[in-house]
Amino acid sequence: MTSSHTLQARQLSLGYGEREIVSRLDLALPPGRITVVVGPNACGKSTLLRALARLLPPLAGSVLLDGRDIHRTPTKEVAATLGVLPQSPVAPDAIVVADLVGRGRYPHQGWFRRWTRADDEAVAAAMLATDVLDLADRSVDELSGGQRQRVWIAMALAQETDVLLLDEPTTYLDISHQLDVLDLLTDLNRARGVTLALVLHDLNLACRYADHLIAMKAGRIVAEGPPGDIVTASLVHEVFGLRSAVIPDPASGTPMVVPLGRHHVTPPA
Amino acid sequence: MNGLDTMAEQPTAAEAAARLGRLRRHRRRGFGAVCLVLLLAVLTALLVSLCTGDIALPVGDVWDTLLGGGDAGSRFVVVELRLPRALLALLVGFAFGLSGAVFQALLRNPLASPDVIGVSSGAAAAAVPASMVYGVSGIALSGTALVGALAAGAGVYLLAWRRGINGQRLVLIGVGVGTGLSSIVSYLMTRSEVTEAQSAFVWLAGSLNGRSWPQFWPLFGAVVVLAPLTLLGSRALPALQLGDGTAAGLGARVERDRLVLLGCATALAGVATAAAGPVGFVAFVSPPIARRLLPGHGAALLPAALTGSALVGLADLAGQHALPHTQLPVGLVTGVVGAPYLLWLLARANRVGQGG
Repeated sequence: MTSSHTLQARQLSLGYGEREIVSRLDLALPPGRITVVVGPNACGKSTLLRALARLLPPLAGSVLLDGRDIHRTPTKEVAATLGVLPQSPVAPDAIVVADLVGRGRYPHQGWFRRWTRADDEAVAAAMLATDVLDLADRSVDELSGGQRQRVWIAMALAQETDVLLLDEPTTYLDISHQLDVLDLLTDLNRARGVTLALVLHDLNLACRYADHLIAMKAGRIVAEGPPGDIVTASLVHEVFGLRSAVIPDPASGTPMVVPLGRHHVTPPA
Repeated sequence: MNGLDTMAEQPTAAEAAARLGRLRRHRRRGFGAVCLVLLLAVLTALLVSLCTGDIALPVGDVWDTLLGGGDAGSRFVVVELRLPRALLALLVGFAFGLSGAVFQALLRNPLASPDVIGVSSGAAAAAVPASMVYGVSGIALSGTALVGALAAGAGVYLLAWRRGINGQRLVLIGVGVGTGLSSIVSYLMTRSEVTEAQSAFVWLAGSLNGRSWPQFWPLFGAVVVLAPLTLLGSRALPALQLGDGTAAGLGARVERDRLVLLGCATALAGVATAAAGPVGFVAFVSPPIARRLLPGHGAALLPAALTGSALVGLADLAGQHALPHTQLPVGLVTGVVGAPYLLWLLARANRVGQGG
């Protein structure tokens, strides 16, 4: 069941115009696992995700999908293996849910191959997994933020790829919907072995849901590995410039970062 | 998740697929029905324009004449005068409607249509000096208008390109370019003889007066090539409408697919303008009418094109017969319909606070 596809970056340098944001970065996503990228604003984590999804051509170096340069592989072929959900995507006006999710089938349709039963089945499975089937004929405009995010994830699932990259899938969601989305992605990873890479802002959720955590700062990887092995107060300080205490999460046993500001902190006895 | 509740209600994958299939077929039937109704409206407009005029002809006579019968008089009236003009009206509307629908869907902006973003002004800015200063006429004038439309479209695209295309920016630049080109046309008009200015005015208003087979065939040829090309290119539209990142992730070749579609849409607006002048607001109002008829059906390209056909067909009928002894340019009639919609759109955009 587990995805055997590999996605790697080799000596990857990224930027916009003259400005280099990521330089000479090496990375391999562990197949069949959940990788979470964290780091302060403007550390290059979204840029890195965009490059891994071939949405941004590298200044130097390469991204390899199953050992092949992703920019030299026909883009539709890539889209059959690798899906991406960019940060806050935009839906056309008045589009209905089933139509939006169905657009995830685009890479599976050719010039002459029209909609088939397999497409209906893939869309149905995606909508069941994300619990949006009952919204099928509703307009996306009238959905709540949490419902809308589930619809977008359903669209990405309908693409039926073994590797899925998501840029801040929990942004703008309240805490319970953040957990819903992360639980849903974990289900997907456990049930279908999909390799996931996501950018997250919340360190504690990242520690809890990641099999593999990547901490980035100023365009380079400071540390990577299982959260329990790498997350320490000194790493948090190095990456975020934040004083903190790291204790075991009472729910999951994974590291929990308790930030320490200048106020409301009991001095150590 | 509350496990028990969802377990009880959760349909199986097969049931879910069947349910989606039913929904999809229902939507497709709706699409077919609306297209059929629009087609009937188009054919009605065609039939009425063949029958009405200074000499009213019964439907039966018109039918006989079309099949090769009838006397020489009715042959001349129907086949030489009315048929080319009526067909030209439908074709012009079709091209404008399709063009506008592509622009609006692709640029995600209801203001993005060739007459708003400078394509029609480009055609005018090429055709007016060509006819006034160099005495160009006929097919050559149509060709000049087409070149002007394509040049204006390409110019706006290049000016708006900044590591990709943003609909809002393209519309603003297009409005600016269009205004600039229109002022060139106005300047030329002030410098010209009254009779020249008058004929240029009629063309600028968008008119089918005196149009016949020589204007019809080039447009027909162009639409026969461009419309299928546009519909073929529109296969990428569902992906492109989701924004550049998502579209690229789905395997669309964003820049190429968008350029093909914008090129086709610009050319369609160009050939239509070349044949009848910049018939105002057809490209602008046809797509929203079609989308209103088919809510939630995406870009609805074909319905928008048919709406355009019906609109120009009916507008030209009204222009010819609404006032006794006066033929109004068709563009004047479409303007009467379109201008209030533009005002409403702008007023509403201000109120909901979303530009365009």
